[in-house]
Amino acid sequence: MKQNNFNHGRLLLFLFLLPCFVFAQNTITGKVTDNTGETVPFANVIVKGTSTGTTTSIDGNYSLDVETLPVTLVYSSLGFTTVEKAVSVAGAVNVTMVESAQALDEVVITGLATSIKRTNSANAVASLSAEELVGKTPPPTLDGALYGKFAGAVVNQNSGAPGGGLSVKLRGATSLQGNVQPLYIIDGVYLDNSSLSSGLNAVSGAAAGGSASNQDNPTNRIADINPEDIANIEILKGASAAAIYGSRAAAGVIIITTKRGKAGETKFKFSQSVGYTEAINLLGVRDYTRQRVLDSFGQDAANDFVNAQNAGTLVDYENEIFGEKGFIRLTNFSMSGGDEKSKFFAGISHNNEEGIVRGTGYEKTSLRLNLDHKAKDWLKFNLSSNYIYSSSDRGFFNNDNSGTTIGVALTATRPWDNLLANEDGIYPDHPNNSSNPLQTRDLVTNNERVNRFIIGGTMNLDFYRSENSSLELVLRGGLDMYGQQSRAIFPKGLQFQRPENGGLNGVSVQGDTQNKNYNLSGFLVHNYNTESNINFRTQVGLTNESFNRDTKLITATGLVASETNVDQATNTGVLQTRVKQEDAGFFAQEEVNIDDKVIATVGIRGDKSSRIGIPNQYNYYPKASLAVNLTEFGLGGGGSLLSQFKLRAAYGEAGNFPPFGALFTSYSSFSTDGLLGISLLGVRGSKDINFERQKELEFGTDIGFFDGRLGLSATYYIKTVDDLILQSALPPSSGFTAEIVNAGELQNKGIELSLNATPVQNDNFQWDLNVNWFRNRSEITRLDVDPFNIGAFGATLGTYRIEEGSSATQIVGIGPNPGPNGFQVFGDAEPDFQMGLNNSLKYKNLDLSFLWQWKKGGDNINLTALLTDLNGTSHDYDTIDLDPEGQLGNGDYRVSQLGSSAEVFVEDASYVRLREIGLYYTLDKGMLGQVLGGNIDSVRIGLSGTNVLNFFDYNSYDPEVSNFGGGTIFTGVEVTPFPSSKRYLFHLGVNF
Amino acid sequence: MKKHIYKILFLASIIGTLVSCDVEEFSDLNNPEVDAFGENLTRGDLQDLIGGVLYSSRTRLGTYYDDCGVIGREYWRFSSSDPRFTSDLLGGENAVLDNNTFYITGPWASRYRTVKNANLIIGFLDGQDVSAQFSDAEVNATKGFLQTMIGYELLLNLNLTYENGIRTDVADSDNLGPIVGNSQALTDIRAILESAATNLGAGGAAFPFPLSSGFSDFNTPSSFLQANRALAARVAVYQNDMSAARTFLSGSFLNLNGSDLSTGIYHTFSLAAQDIANPMFFPMNATTAGARIMEPSFLTDAEAGDSRLSKVSERNEEITLDGLTGNYDVFVYPSQESSIPIIRNEELILLYAEANISSNPGEAVNALNIIRGAAGLDPYTGATDSDSLIDEMLTQRRYSLYAEGHRWIDIRRYGRLDQLPLARPMDDVFSQFPIPLTEEGI
Repeated sequence: MKQNNFNHGRLLLFLFLLPCFVFAQNTITGKVTDNTGETVPFANVIVKGTSTGTTTSIDGNYSLDVETLPVTLVYSSLGFTTVEKAVSVAGAVNVTMVESAQALDEVVITGLATSIKRTNSANAVASLSAEELVGKTPPPTLDGALYGKFAGAVVNQNSGAPGGGLSVKLRGATSLQGNVQPLYIIDGVYLDNSSLSSGLNAVSGAAAGGSASNQDNPTNRIADINPEDIANIEILKGASAAAIYGSRAAAGVIIITTKRGKAGETKFKFSQSVGYTEAINLLGVRDYTRQRVLDSFGQDAANDFVNAQNAGTLVDYENEIFGEKGFIRLTNFSMSGGDEKSKFFAGISHNNEEGIVRGTGYEKTSLRLNLDHKAKDWLKFNLSSNYIYSSSDRGFFNNDNSGTTIGVALTATRPWDNLLANEDGIYPDHPNNSSNPLQTRDLVTNNERVNRFIIGGTMNLDFYRSENSSLELVLRGGLDMYGQQSRAIFPKGLQFQRPENGGLNGVSVQGDTQNKNYNLSGFLVHNYNTESNINFRTQVGLTNESFNRDTKLITATGLVASETNVDQATNTGVLQTRVKQEDAGFFAQEEVNIDDKVIATVGIRGDKSSRIGIPNQYNYYPKASLAVNLTEFGLGGGGSLLSQFKLRAAYGEAGNFPPFGALFTSYSSFSTDGLLGISLLGVRGSKDINFERQKELEFGTDIGFFDGRLGLSATYYIKTVDDLILQSALPPSSGFTAEIVNAGELQNKGIELSLNATPVQNDNFQWDLNVNWFRNRSEITRLDVDPFNIGAFGATLGTYRIEEGSSATQIVGIGPNPGPNGFQVFGDAEPDFQMGLNNSLKYKNLDLSFLWQWKKGGDNINLTALLTDLNGTSHDYDTIDLDPEGQLGNGDYRVSQLGSSAEVFVEDASYVRLREIGLYYTLDKGMLGQVLGGNIDSVRIGLSGTNVLNFFDYNSYDPEVSNFGGGTIFTGVEVTPFPSSKRYLFHLGVNF
Repeated sequence: MKKHIYKILFLASIIGTLVSCDVEEFSDLNNPEVDAFGENLTRGDLQDLIGGVLYSSRTRLGTYYDDCGVIGREYWRFSSSDPRFTSDLLGGENAVLDNNTFYITGPWASRYRTVKNANLIIGFLDGQDVSAQFSDAEVNATKGFLQTMIGYELLLNLNLTYENGIRTDVADSDNLGPIVGNSQALTDIRAILESAATNLGAGGAAFPFPLSSGFSDFNTPSSFLQANRALAARVAVYQNDMSAARTFLSGSFLNLNGSDLSTGIYHTFSLAAQDIANPMFFPMNATTAGARIMEPSFLTDAEAGDSRLSKVSERNEEITLDGLTGNYDVFVYPSQESSIPIIRNEELILLYAEANISSNPGEAVNALNIIRGAAGLDPYTGATDSDSLIDEMLTQRRYSLYAEGHRWIDIRRYGRLDQLPLARPMDDVFSQFPIPLTEEGI
């Protein structure tokens, strides 16, 4: 009995203490490893539905006290698939995490300072991992890596010149005359993506016909970013996702996160690629016969032709100029490591690429240092810094009005013309053109050099953190600074520079641009979890951005001797252009997550800007979204076939700035016979110009089967752009030709589908497949100004036309069956659809991956053929397949259509391309054995290619082209461009 | 902990600075704004503004002269990078003149730009008290100069669109006057020139601004008035108002002397960076990239020994583009810095001849003989009836004013466009340009 009493007493004591055990003594410990057995340091271990958690130590161990059991623990770490584990008893719980390319999809941006699990996202946000970006083949530039990899982006190369010059357009026509390129943000820094003219117009006279657009074909500055540095990219395609970026988000936002250090052993990565580039398609020369030469060029030429033919001295000048193979070298080295407190990633890369035209090329050196420091448990800093030097030699191409660019000169060049330099290096004058393209190629310099520094820092400060709520302060700042120098040198020895030929006796155009942008922001993020597993996340913040650019372009003509300094010249002119902008705004957002079942978000951004008529007045951009995870309601999930079924809807608004200077009616200064004078510019200012406003509504669903091995995503969007910024034509008798107004509405509707599948997955073989398909249709739904033609060279040659009720990118021209507006519709630049097919096959240590891209439909205005026709040099001049009567050769037919119909200049620009392909073999640690003392983790060797196979029925080098660059939706106008090229590379990579 | 509180306060103050941010409002950083002159117009400002008129009166002039020269079959303009010079302007195949292509939109807008530049200055002078800066005479002189320029610029546009008309009342950009036909437009232009003459007459001794060397003989209000009267004479002849033309000529710088044909007012050009080079210059033996090739009949129709044939230069090799083959370059303007006449004495002598054909044929023949003599030709021996003299006058104008933008207009005035030669069977001779697309419906 006494014994019993004692036992009772122990029982009582036990009962008394039990709550303590239950609430404080459930310690779960364990080790987290990856599938190769390596430990995973600093993985997050969180009790699901709370903010309670810990991180693993440097050797992968963790220990976590929980109040109640059972619990579900969520293990997550960058680069690994998140693991959930139900734990019912305290003690050791070891977990294996699997590395996954898809793992980076885990979170997507929803706020300026927050992100959300992809499975809870209400937007179709596309993300690309480092593997998807550069895994198959190193892209020439970052934007060049986006082709075909996700739905909704139209990427277009303006020309084949090395060093970029691409445009990325998200979800159709964003603006008619405002900015159409997405905002790029790298580690919180707003990136400048300008294309700065190098002043070639002084020689080419391309704009002399009245086309004010930049036809110099400069690089766009996103080319500076090294793709190898990037950990992942998220693409907010339209206002519904990007409203948080307010007035500069209408064209979408591309958010780039660079690689950061991981704690643990310091890892080194080295990779070297070498290869070459060559033209994908040359046109060839006309099939000349004596009679044809006689008909086209007269008796003298016929004699020259016959003599050259007999002497065997006919030259294929197209091949002479574009037939070179350019050598490519890419080197990357990076190291990363650190401990729990401080981590680093450092990288250096050097690219040296030659183009397919002698003297063209692109060279870039990039240095990066990323640091993370955890000063206290509640205070974290991170810093990203990047220095870039790049130099591009772009040659002298595109449209001109002086017969001087290499492309236009080629149109007038015949195989019997003697243009080759003699043994003294003297080039003969072109008998049939104002310039000798070989001489131009060898003597003209057109170089852009950039020194750029991008630095961004973030501080996270936890004001307090309790079990159910937390308050965090995030401060962020970024600086993007660069100096760009351009040098375009046309020596006085050039045929078209000699005074007796009407030349300017040498031209030196030198530009210097200093650009400084900075952005500052601060946010408060408050999290609150209720007992019933509802999470409220509130964030408020302030933003401030400043942009400042100063360009001085000096044009010197009449050079002294072989001097190129601009002071050593007869005439010198300076053009200075300053651009300044200040924006300030605020942002507030509330997210409610009801147990991952229903996730709702509402938010608003307010922006003011110096760029609009009333600068200090807020413009408000609201957003709202809702996602419902039907699987969490018991539909499928939990081991059934259907692993995810989500319905989502999102609405948001975003803005687009009026062009710089739109506010002002100004004079520009000129001189007359030494007298200075100021004359009106053609554009009348508009004092009350406001932002263009985009309103986007998107719906969609994400469905997963077989535990995520098959995933389908479908999205439908309606994107309306109101207050369209238009350069409205004024009657020129007013003294002005245009003014910039908010006048119209444009609507885009589109569908985006994507499918991800892993059809085969076993120990030796894995096949991953991604297919995306999308289409967009635009319509001008309201136009408050008269319909107008835009974006090309007038109705005779085919032009874009903005008209209410028509597509924003319709191509019209004069023709035999004109509509009531006097023009006939011949096409539309908008593709019928685009599709990407991405395959990745892995057998043991062998990887093969390839990406096909198909653009179906969409038309170009191709004027290259016409220019060669007029000179009688077209490759298809004598082929008869255009004339419906079957009488005239193509050359004669096109010329006969001049002035009566533009139809023949509008061509289908569809293509199918094997965009990227890579084959790699990895030697892993086991295979390397004791090579270098067993210190090498892996060696990867491989072969890859870009644009390896190209299929199109388009009468020029490549249907992907834009004479007017990428800053407009009216791409696809072709005038003797730099032909595009394919690349082949061999790779060696070592990790140690 | 206290240390951390200070740090947090410091961070809070950073946020505070962000909150207080208003954005700065910038004026146009790169160019002077128009509004700036409405308040306080200085002499320096006026000089710059007049300089702007001189500048813009020359923009796209090359296109104007090519329009007139190509349609008037004086020469062909070859441009391998723009086919429309040889298709649209010559009416090749089915081509017609488009109302939204550079050949009409460019010069049309440039001429009206000049008109606007000038009208703005007149507005600045009228809209404020400028008595501290300028005397009344100086204000009159300035207005007289500007109105003369306005009249001239309007006339050039009317020359292109002819019966399609132009707008003559364009002082208020938001309230443009109607498009008026050729006859009314000529009346309006003449009235503008008359008003200018009145102002110049009360314009004192000097302009309050310098003019370019192209005006060097006419750079005072009184001498410039003679140039104004010369332009008025051209307008009167276009109106077929020959007695008015004779009156205007008598007030002009007409000098019936064959050794003084080039006196007049000119557009000047230079290679200075912000200036314009002569757009009518191409080097000899220029290629199809850009050339002006003489229409062959200019040579075949010429009288033997006409020294004016030096205005063309034989090429080393013939040149072919778009089915047109020629052997001679136009070489009226031998360098990029050559001047282009606005009006000069040779035209005045020819206007004098024309104005006398019906009233005083003998005087007409005298005037024509001055021209013939200067060209190294024997005196006129043909019939002296009006039709014959008109033929001879038009021929002399063709050779004397070659590539100066007259032939098409002269031949059109006399309804003889069908007499111009066609180089290709499908070509057409157009009588006028359409009104630019963006001018319609206002």
